[in-house]
Amino acid sequence: MTALLEIDNLSVGFTRDGETTDVVRDLSMRVEQGARVAVIGESGSGKTVTMKTILGTLPPNGRVLGGAIRFDGQDLLTLAPRDRDRLKGTDISIIHQDPLAAFNPVFRIGTQMDDVLRYADARLGQPSSAADRGDRITTVLRQVQLQDPARVRHSYPFELSGGMRQRVLIGMALLHRPKLLIADEPGTALDVTTQDEILRLLDDLVAAQNLTLVLVTHNLAVVRQNADYVYVMQHGRLMEHGLVRQVFDAPQSTYTRQLIAAIPPLYGAGVTAQSGRGTAKLIELAAAAKHFAAPKRWFAKPPPSVMAVRDVSLVINRGDCFGIAGESGSGKTTVARMIMGLLAATAGKVEIGGRDIASLRRDPAFRRRIQMVYQNPASSLNPKRTVAQMLAVPLAFAGDTAHPRRVAELLAQVELPPEFARRYPHELSGGQKQRVAIARALAVRPEILVLDEPTSALDVSVQKTIVDLLLSLREQLDLTYVFISHDLSLMRNFCNRIAVMWRGMLAEQGQTDDVFDRPVHPYTRALIAAVPVLTEAEAARKPQITLAERRAVLASTVE
Amino acid sequence: MGSYLLRRAAGFVFVLFGLAVVIFVIARIVPGDPARIALGPLATHEQVLQLRTEMGLDQPAIIQFATYISGVVRGEFGKSLLTNRQVSRDLAEALPATLELVLLTLILMTCVAMPLGMLAARRHNSAIDNISRLVSLLGVVTPGFVVAILLQLLAAETGRFLPITGRLSPDMSFSADITHLLVVDALLRGRLDVAGDAVLHLILPALALSTAGIGQVMRITRSAMLDIARREHVDTLRSFGVPGHVIALKYMLRLASVAPLTILGLEFASLIGNAFVVELVFSWPGIASYGVRAILSKDFNAVMGVVLVSGLFFVVANLLIDMLVGVLDPRLRRRA
Repeated sequence: MTALLEIDNLSVGFTRDGETTDVVRDLSMRVEQGARVAVIGESGSGKTVTMKTILGTLPPNGRVLGGAIRFDGQDLLTLAPRDRDRLKGTDISIIHQDPLAAFNPVFRIGTQMDDVLRYADARLGQPSSAADRGDRITTVLRQVQLQDPARVRHSYPFELSGGMRQRVLIGMALLHRPKLLIADEPGTALDVTTQDEILRLLDDLVAAQNLTLVLVTHNLAVVRQNADYVYVMQHGRLMEHGLVRQVFDAPQSTYTRQLIAAIPPLYGAGVTAQSGRGTAKLIELAAAAKHFAAPKRWFAKPPPSVMAVRDVSLVINRGDCFGIAGESGSGKTTVARMIMGLLAATAGKVEIGGRDIASLRRDPAFRRRIQMVYQNPASSLNPKRTVAQMLAVPLAFAGDTAHPRRVAELLAQVELPPEFARRYPHELSGGQKQRVAIARALAVRPEILVLDEPTSALDVSVQKTIVDLLLSLREQLDLTYVFISHDLSLMRNFCNRIAVMWRGMLAEQGQTDDVFDRPVHPYTRALIAAVPVLTEAEAARKPQITLAERRAVLASTVE
Repeated sequence: MGSYLLRRAAGFVFVLFGLAVVIFVIARIVPGDPARIALGPLATHEQVLQLRTEMGLDQPAIIQFATYISGVVRGEFGKSLLTNRQVSRDLAEALPATLELVLLTLILMTCVAMPLGMLAARRHNSAIDNISRLVSLLGVVTPGFVVAILLQLLAAETGRFLPITGRLSPDMSFSADITHLLVVDALLRGRLDVAGDAVLHLILPALALSTAGIGQVMRITRSAMLDIARREHVDTLRSFGVPGHVIALKYMLRLASVAPLTILGLEFASLIGNAFVVELVFSWPGIASYGVRAILSKDFNAVMGVVLVSGLFFVVANLLIDMLVGVLDPRLRRRA
């Protein structure tokens, strides 16, 4: 077999304030013609920097410190800039990660694709006509299964759904049938069902066009489905590489083992089933609904109001870890905000401890009983305040005057050393920040914590430590959790009961084991079926549902 | 977009009406009898009373206001005590002079400041960037009248390349009666000599008026370009090999121009204010110097005329800017 891409002892450094730090160190890699290779690693592993080095799009402060990259018989690092540029978007293409941020928001999709194609043609010395390019763009959009290419070309990025934008990005990379296709976390920013569609599409295209794929991801389950060979990176170094099956079945490096262990299993002996603590009712929603009326305007038709949540009835018992699962727009966050008393129900009722929340919303005693931990600790913590200062606010609210001792106590509860009290958020890692956010919620000694995707902004290995912390806090402090998430594997291991939301309604609710083992609602089945899993055994236990069935479910209307 | 503009326009009518009310009330609160001021200390009590009746000052305030507003709607602001002519006629003469000055200033701000800002962003942290940042800071902090006088002195010292007062050389005779903008009318009538002379007269006052704005617009363009350069979509185009100048001049500029354009709209108000000093220094017969003379002599009809007309222009300028920004950024159109 001939290698299409060979990387030898590559080192890349970034210079900041006159100091150069390695972000990739002695990396060697080999990608055969027609192979499907995955590069896996968490944030800071150097995987994205490696791809940028291959493409030749390192930022100005990034520099290759040593090594060589050979592509298709040419040494990329010694190639003249013009020859290097000729490869971009033609022989080497990349599918960018964030399908919204990757497009210029004020130009039509067609315009952006046309410029990409036009200048690539010009670099190859084959100038093309606008009409010819239009035809080729339409063809490519059909290949990525967009039904109405003309409309897509005429649309602005914000007028398309996330899934459609991701398809366009894939199409953009295929305009010149690249010899090497780099996919940077494809579908990661999308819902699980959409991500699954995208990954299948990518796999079909790679097979049909006989492409060579380098898949960059942090998700091991995606690697199993979409790659044959895997490179594992950590802190800029290669930890391990091999055939996917070998690496997964018998990981050699400690890091790979940790990474695999950190992934919550969907089925099998590894699942840590949680149990409830009795049947004392704490939170009750009875036919609760919330619709948002659009603001009225002069000379304009009043826009229809949005039904965010309708007819949701559920009971959460004291000591429960209750999961609310759903994709974006399903209404799960609206339900959480109604439970918090941040939004008033338009119809039905929401009760905490037998009292209507409408009467409790302004009651400070109630505020102390229920607290929230937000998704992204980078934005939920004030960057200008130290940990101690941030904890002082809720402590003062709770009338707790013995601050220093309580601050140390809270930090101990979230397993942080007491000297962290003097630190600012930028001096903390992502996981440490989320611990501080949890400590802040615990400061008023609440009974209920609403956890809004508390781990989705974190790397898998860090996610595991936060989940373990939350589970042990639940024991120690006798807490009740309302856990909002789109991550079904995580919920399987964290919640004793689960409700699945779909289009503002409850599709299904029940004991977590029951919902996963015997899902009833077609949407629940489709959702679980789309979850990427690590082993064949798990894949076999997922609800079996054909692609056509799933499409039918997702396309069906509520009424 | 259509209903959006309609709503904005309706909002602006309210703004202008509110402006009229405020100015009217202020005019009545300020002590001093306009009739007495107009006639001077030697006039008899009867004469003053008679003028008051003529001016409608003996009517209840609400009637006075109604009479006034109905006049304004017809484009009549009443008679000026200062010039003893219809205020609308005075404005028709003074306004084009200021407008010509302000338009050139806005053109200078756009065509000088935005390219400079882009250049500074492209070569950021280089010598060009640092020098232009320093110069723009100087421009922002130096008062307009200082710049005006410095420019005038400089022009006077270095010979007579640039005229330092007035709109037109005394030996030129030309009546601008199409758009009332001298340069435009001279070009329309094919009088290149007049147009050239008028442009030379405009240069110094426009420079003086634009220094602060140029600095501001340059800095905003620079930071907008720098911010956008970090966005992922720039990276996308780069990774597909789209040439740098296309990315900068087509893709980045369109996004980056929204902020400086919005600033230009807001600048418009302060331009008319700053124009007073500049008009005074360069003996420019514009609306700002007319307005100040009106205030000092308690010529309320003239004051209200000046305020309402400047307000109208501010509002229209901002509506135009809003439309332009809407064209540049489709997301704003949709949100509206």
